[in-house]
Amino acid sequence: MLRRMMGFMVLNPLSGVIAVLAIIVLVASLLSPNFLTSYNMMIIARSLAFIGLITIAQSMLMILGELDLSLGAIGGFCGVIGGILMVQVGLPPWLAFALCLLIGALFGLVNGLLVTLLRLPSLVLTIGMAGVYGGLNLVLTRGVAITGIPSSIGFLGTGRWLGLPIPFWIMLVFLAIASFITLKTPFGRYMYAVGSNAPAARMLGIHVDRVRVGVFAFAGFLAALAGMLMVARLGSAQPSIGDSWVLGPIAAAVIGGVPTTGGIGTPLGAIFGAAIIGVIENIIVLFGISPYWQSMVSGAIVVLAISLDAISRRYFKRE
Amino acid sequence: MKSRIIPLLLAGALFATPAFAQEGPGQQKADGYRFVLVPKVVHPWFDKVNQGAQQAAAAIEAQSGSKVEIQYSAPQSASVAEQNEIIERAISTRPDGLIVDLLDPSGNRSVLEEAAEQGIPVTLFDSINPEGMSLTTVGSDFCEQANMAANRLIELLGGEGKVAIMMGVPTAPNHAERARCAQATFDAHDGIEVVATGVDNDDINTAQQQASAIMQANPDLDGWVAADAAGPVGIGQAIKEAGKVGEVQLVGLDDLNQMLVLIQEGVADSSSASRPTMQGYWSVINMWQQATGALTPNHIDTGNVMITPDNVESFMQ
Repeated sequence: MLRRMMGFMVLNPLSGVIAVLAIIVLVASLLSPNFLTSYNMMIIARSLAFIGLITIAQSMLMILGELDLSLGAIGGFCGVIGGILMVQVGLPPWLAFALCLLIGALFGLVNGLLVTLLRLPSLVLTIGMAGVYGGLNLVLTRGVAITGIPSSIGFLGTGRWLGLPIPFWIMLVFLAIASFITLKTPFGRYMYAVGSNAPAARMLGIHVDRVRVGVFAFAGFLAALAGMLMVARLGSAQPSIGDSWVLGPIAAAVIGGVPTTGGIGTPLGAIFGAAIIGVIENIIVLFGISPYWQSMVSGAIVVLAISLDAISRRYFKRE
Repeated sequence: MKSRIIPLLLAGALFATPAFAQEGPGQQKADGYRFVLVPKVVHPWFDKVNQGAQQAAAAIEAQSGSKVEIQYSAPQSASVAEQNEIIERAISTRPDGLIVDLLDPSGNRSVLEEAAEQGIPVTLFDSINPEGMSLTTVGSDFCEQANMAANRLIELLGGEGKVAIMMGVPTAPNHAERARCAQATFDAHDGIEVVATGVDNDDINTAQQQASAIMQANPDLDGWVAADAAGPVGIGQAIKEAGKVGEVQLVGLDDLNQMLVLIQEGVADSSSASRPTMQGYWSVINMWQQATGALTPNHIDTGNVMITPDNVESFMQ
């Protein structure tokens, strides 16, 4: 039985991260009576929904060996554009919502084209593009939130189905789509090939640049979706939406087994990584840890989680 | 058997009666209270609010014997979404009350409604109520504070000169209101021209960079006011760096220690200060009074004060 379990642990690349998540959840539920309440589970799920969409996007880019640090800025800018279209232009909310998703995909496409055509490192280019999208956001809003978002889209951010927030269900749908693309389609196999060795993939006849541009566009689409869902959640288009969506999703993907070097990992693993970070952030507040210690505690637990995962993997392989 | 049960029930009812009795306003008592204080962001100004809150907790314990715990839980960045998550997590710990400085009333509205649904009372400080809500607010008049600073600068300049305004976080309503009121005060004086407006996002380094750039672009600038606490500290450093102490006048905002040092050094003339310690203190007192069943006012005005070289010592800690 133990041998079979160990075999499963070795074969399943997600076992380590799931085990770490389970340990954190167990410890938190033993130490805090408020942790396993339905309300707390609901807020963890809702928080995971927004950061999860960006994590899915970032993990797909990281499988390619790329990064997009402008996803948060795209999300925020698309949210603001959505607010303007709905409130100031007067477009029907659903049309504005759909247009914003397309605009997000367009921004992602622009990032992808610049990376592939100019042969620039995506890390550097997208830092610059984050400034462009964030700056345009401030130009349009002058820093002031757009209020009066029609209530007809409010349920997308605040509604619940089967006790869980709607944004969480939407995130799960796109996790399923991303997992299907990466694991079950030729395009997904090309992604892993490009991430492992781009020159070799090119020699095999894979359109490396097309794959890259396609994933950047999809990532932009997901960022816009997260931004618009946040607008629906807040009932206003805040220029600050997306400010905190930069490093967390990358850390989540790495914890979930998607290295920045590319070629391996899955969006599902990245979501487990995001769940670990989300639960840690939740229990930090639940336990009343001083805000001055929060970053240190959060960072230390993340390092501990990665280390435990790596050590257990090495141990089980040796066994 | 029945004969034993009936007296027991009667005795139980007798002892239970006080618990069910209607208590008048302010007469409910508990052994302890836990209030969660959620500021806009990790920032020294809010440390002063927390100090005041802790002082109030000690005062309540000394006066009533009830232990009060203040849990300080601050967002790491000034993001409404992050602040909402902190508030939601605080709600899930079932505190006796939430004390919040809203980053944006419209964006924070949904979590305040969640707190109400969960039966958790809320007191706002340094904020205005979201539209249609009537929570007790504790704080000072932002416009009055900005006008005090602007009028002081106009007086220093003899009613004539070129001035600049440093905004804090453009999305923060209190910062925006201060900037708007300062602008209106300057506009009402023909001799005063506002030549530049900077945005520092309530960050001292950004304020310093912005102030340096604005003074480079406007070498004949005569004076500064700011709409946030970090702004004048950065402006003061930029004035010192540019060697323009005494040449460019600065009327600051609030009472951060760095601001007070700038007044002592003569870099800043004065500072128009709200009273963060008092805001924290009265927020906790208000929360405690609500918990005792007392009706609380719509607004508690903690007022503003002008800190000058004459009284700066009394604000130093």
